Amino acid sequence: MDAAVPLAGAHDTHHHGPPEANRSSRVDPQLLGMLLFIISEIMVFAAFFTAYFFIRIVGENEWPARGTELPVLVAGVNTAILLSSSLTLHWAQTSVKNGNRFGLKAGMFTTFLLGATFLLVQVNEYVHIGFSPADHAQGSVFYGLTGLHGAHVFIGLLLLGVVTVRSFRGHFSKEEHRGLEIPGIYWHFVDVMWIVVYTTIYII
Amino acid sequence: MPVTLRQPGWSRASASMVLGLAFSYALSIGARAILGYDPLLDGESVMRIALISVPFFFLVGLGCFSYWFRWASGAPTVPEDHSGHGAKSWKSYFYPNTDHKVIGIQYVVTSFFFMFVGGLLAMLIRAELAAPGRQFVDSNAYNGLFSVHASLLIFLFIIPVFAGLANYVLPLMIGAPDMAFPRLNALSYWLLPVAGTMMMLSFFAPGGSFATGWTAYATLSNTAPLGQEFFTIGVQFAGASSIATALNFLVTIITMRAPGMSFFRMPLLVWANFSTSLLVVIATPFVAASQFFVLLDRSLGFNFFDHGQGGDVLMYQHVFWFYSHPAVYIMMLPGFGIVSEILAVKSRKPVFGYRMMAFSLLAIVALGFTVWAHHMFVSGMQTWIRVPMMVTTAIIAVPTGIKIFSWLATMWKGVLKLDTPMLFTMGFLTMFVLGGISGVMLAMIPLTIHVSDTYFIVAHIHYVLFGGSLFTIFAGVYFWFPKMTGRMYDEKLGKLHFWLTFIFFNATFAPMHVIGVQGMPRRVADYAEQFASWNLVISLAAFGTGISSLVFAYNMVASWRGGPRAESNPWRSLTLEWQVSSPPPIFNFDEIPTVVGGPYEYGVPGAVHGVFGGSPTTAGPGRRGPATTAGAPSA
Amino acid sequence: MGEERRGSRNSRTVVVEMFVIGTVASLAGIALGSAIEWFPAQASSQAGPIDTLWDVLVICSVPIFVGVVIVVVYAALLFRQRPGEENLDGPPIHGNTTIEIVWTVLPALLLVVLCVYAYVVLLDIEQKPAQAATPEMKIDVYGEQFAWTFKYAGANGKPFTTTQLYLPQDRSVKFDVHSKDVIHDFWVPAFRMKIDAVPGITTAYRVTPTKLGIYPVVCAELCGLGHAYMRQTARVLPTDAFDTWLEKESAEDNPPAGGKPVAGGATGATGGGGSDAAEGDAG
Ligand SMILES: [Cu+2]
Ligand SMILES: [Cu+2]
Repeated sequence: MDAAVPLAGAHDTHHHGPPEANRSSRVDPQLLGMLLFIISEIMVFAAFFTAYFFIRIVGENEWPARGTELPVLVAGVNTAILLSSSLTLHWAQTSVKNGNRFGLKAGMFTTFLLGATFLLVQVNEYVHIGFSPADHAQGSVFYGLTGLHGAHVFIGLLLLGVVTVRSFRGHFSKEEHRGLEIPGIYWHFVDVMWIVVYTTIYII
Repeated sequence: MPVTLRQPGWSRASASMVLGLAFSYALSIGARAILGYDPLLDGESVMRIALISVPFFFLVGLGCFSYWFRWASGAPTVPEDHSGHGAKSWKSYFYPNTDHKVIGIQYVVTSFFFMFVGGLLAMLIRAELAAPGRQFVDSNAYNGLFSVHASLLIFLFIIPVFAGLANYVLPLMIGAPDMAFPRLNALSYWLLPVAGTMMMLSFFAPGGSFATGWTAYATLSNTAPLGQEFFTIGVQFAGASSIATALNFLVTIITMRAPGMSFFRMPLLVWANFSTSLLVVIATPFVAASQFFVLLDRSLGFNFFDHGQGGDVLMYQHVFWFYSHPAVYIMMLPGFGIVSEILAVKSRKPVFGYRMMAFSLLAIVALGFTVWAHHMFVSGMQTWIRVPMMVTTAIIAVPTGIKIFSWLATMWKGVLKLDTPMLFTMGFLTMFVLGGISGVMLAMIPLTIHVSDTYFIVAHIHYVLFGGSLFTIFAGVYFWFPKMTGRMYDEKLGKLHFWLTFIFFNATFAPMHVIGVQGMPRRVADYAEQFASWNLVISLAAFGTGISSLVFAYNMVASWRGGPRAESNPWRSLTLEWQVSSPPPIFNFDEIPTVVGGPYEYGVPGAVHGVFGGSPTTAGPGRRGPATTAGAPSA
Repeated sequence: MGEERRGSRNSRTVVVEMFVIGTVASLAGIALGSAIEWFPAQASSQAGPIDTLWDVLVICSVPIFVGVVIVVVYAALLFRQRPGEENLDGPPIHGNTTIEIVWTVLPALLLVVLCVYAYVVLLDIEQKPAQAATPEMKIDVYGEQFAWTFKYAGANGKPFTTTQLYLPQDRSVKFDVHSKDVIHDFWVPAFRMKIDAVPGITTAYRVTPTKLGIYPVVCAELCGLGHAYMRQTARVLPTDAFDTWLEKESAEDNPPAGGKPVAGGATGATGGGGSDAAEGDAG
């Protein structure tokens, strides 16, 4: 095929860039994209909750499996850790909007640390919990849901890590902080999701 | 390091894949050492990790992620030089490109490649089934043939080819210079060859290709040989690709429409892809999850489907069909959009009941989520679920019926140009009605108890996906061929292609209704003597269908290379994609048009859809009808 | 438009003509639909209602299909672009609310009626026969790769297992279907009923065999390489012949997992040729 031919008789000044797209919505495209992505993510979790529902409710399996115990308290503390990371992230975000670089750096650093702590506690829980996903379906669901969430925390941490490094390098400003905003939404989603996971797995 | 290995491209991608393989070995051996498993080297585990990781190494090597890595690191990004935008020669099509038109063509050509592979597998299937007893493949290979056939044609042909066509025309139609996320768009495309190659390579896996059907029901898929994982993991890549594209479409449609293009001034193809994308974003994660479960069960000993440990076998089917029923609409709604476009243009009339056409799409989206268990009437699930699902399944025929009737009304009293796209559209109308009718029959539980898992189902799904989707795909490819290639296709060959396809398609699939009801189960390498004569007829007709697709292939290749040059608007269409040159300029528009009216105002005197730089675009200069029909004839 | 399009005809005549042709074609289609031998032998009391449902569905469907085809064909004949009309546009008709309501409501009503009818049929084929002379018989069906085995309660409380499915005429039989490995599907096309054999759960359906003969038993759910060969036979016997058989089988010393199935294609020997005998003699 021939290379695309510009419109005959077009103004030749237009060759080095596209025309500015019309903005037909007030919503920021990147924000909207992230929200749609989160809808997809919610549906992945929904599918895992379907498995949980079938195995626990429809299959009437004991929960947790006979002879096992879920560390409700430790996980509860861990929940608090993860939730506070959302707060520190918010602090970082408001700081950058106010031009407070210390708040940005400290906020990001704490957020990253809290997130990493959560993940470590989770791994530690796996090591000491006393059952494996291969033992019974309840174990599979437990590891499936917490593992799926853990994978999201891990990815979130990678994003936050980059943001943290960048904020220490002096990136982001009052005007331009989308590189912080978009991963932030994701992180908040991961936190909210954990509340749902924690409630269904540990509490109910 | 040589320059070629540092710059994104195929050399770096190849080297990167070798690296990925090494990584897979290291990870597998390392993990097994830490966990204390005995043979440190386990082929299956290496293969599994490689299936997941090598594609990423490939994509990184090819440069799909380069910009994001730079952006995330905060390194000063190169000011947009558009070096990766637009095709400079045919070679550009083999590299990631950010131009939606290049990506659209990449999509369409790649998916048609997979169509020919899938079609070839169908030929092998029919050769084996031409007579009872074993012809030339054993039953394991046979199960592999139909499994790969279905998986390729569903996940790598019908779903992506629609995404490809829409990728090309949708931004043009709504007056956008490109998609909202051009780099994500490029990545979406490159995930496809990855998924398709993986599925095809499964034939070389120890134990043969995956052979559990495209449905891959647990527990069969849990215990199948390694080839199964080429499906399990391949689907993840195909699914990720369609989610990313859908997200891209949604954001593009919502945020990048030309001034004046309200939702109810959008062409119905845009509406159709809007609805489809909603379905994809919401439903596709479920098929991903269903395959995650299988993968976890297979590789890490999870018990999602092990009933002895409390697992639930039927859960797989619920999760799978919660995606795969909507998937039928994912494979159909974009075709509805194509049909609406072509019928309006080729009948020279506005689409009848435009708003109802848009609303019925949304109704199908909503209802589509409430019917999944009609695939499970004989699965042994709780019996009470069946009746509500029967009712919703029947009701979903209402919005579909509205569309059919509206299309018929659109044609009525028009001035019908019976060229190839129109013939395929009209073929679609009649054949899809048959598929819809057998669909309503299948909603009726007592009948489904008898015909489920028989050739009646095979007939039904091929009337929907071949007589329905594929006919609209052909129609769309012919219709936009001039726009995409700048050349005209050969009308005579196009018509020949239509009639051959139409006749042989019916000869192939209509008899399947009969043998299905008579009691021939599907997915069998061998069958009882009583079905022999019909199967021979079906096989012969299937070969005819195969040959007819060669006419298409020849027409496309020859016309693309040497067809007459296309004008910018050969169909006298009003929609925006026809108001620019064929093929369109590299950035689509010199200046974003303003939309001042509906997209299908054919026959309305002086009607205008888009205005470019103050000059209204009618359906081509001086091509208005002499008597722009003010009143209906004899109305 | 001031003048009629060349070749266009009075619309009333056209509609009448279409209607007449449509009626004739529908009748022909329905006749063809009933002429085709769709179903295998009706060998159970469940077969009748299902086959009737099919007939009703065919009768409802043919006119719809014929109608669409006629409109498409007539549109192509009447309204195709003729030489000299290359620049002509059709009339700008955007819609018609009445007609749109009609084609929304009418199909919806038809579908609701069909659903109600199908529901009635469903209740009919699944209920336990009320006043049966003999109590319902229960047979456990075991699917495994790649054969069926059947466990009878037996005479004198001596259960036995066999690969031969023998059934008494005119007595309701309840199949409890189990799977030993993957999902299978227990289907006797002549009885019209089927259900998946699912590992971990017991599924069930009942039939009342009505017609003596030998019928194929088919696995309808893909279960692996021997799936196509997972074919056996069901024999419907007169009650006394069945009782004799049952007593004989119970008397034999059957191993609990008797009738060990042979894997793969070899099972063809058990029942591969069964379908030929579908219309076979009374056992
Ligand atoms: Cu469905
Ligand atoms: Cu089977």
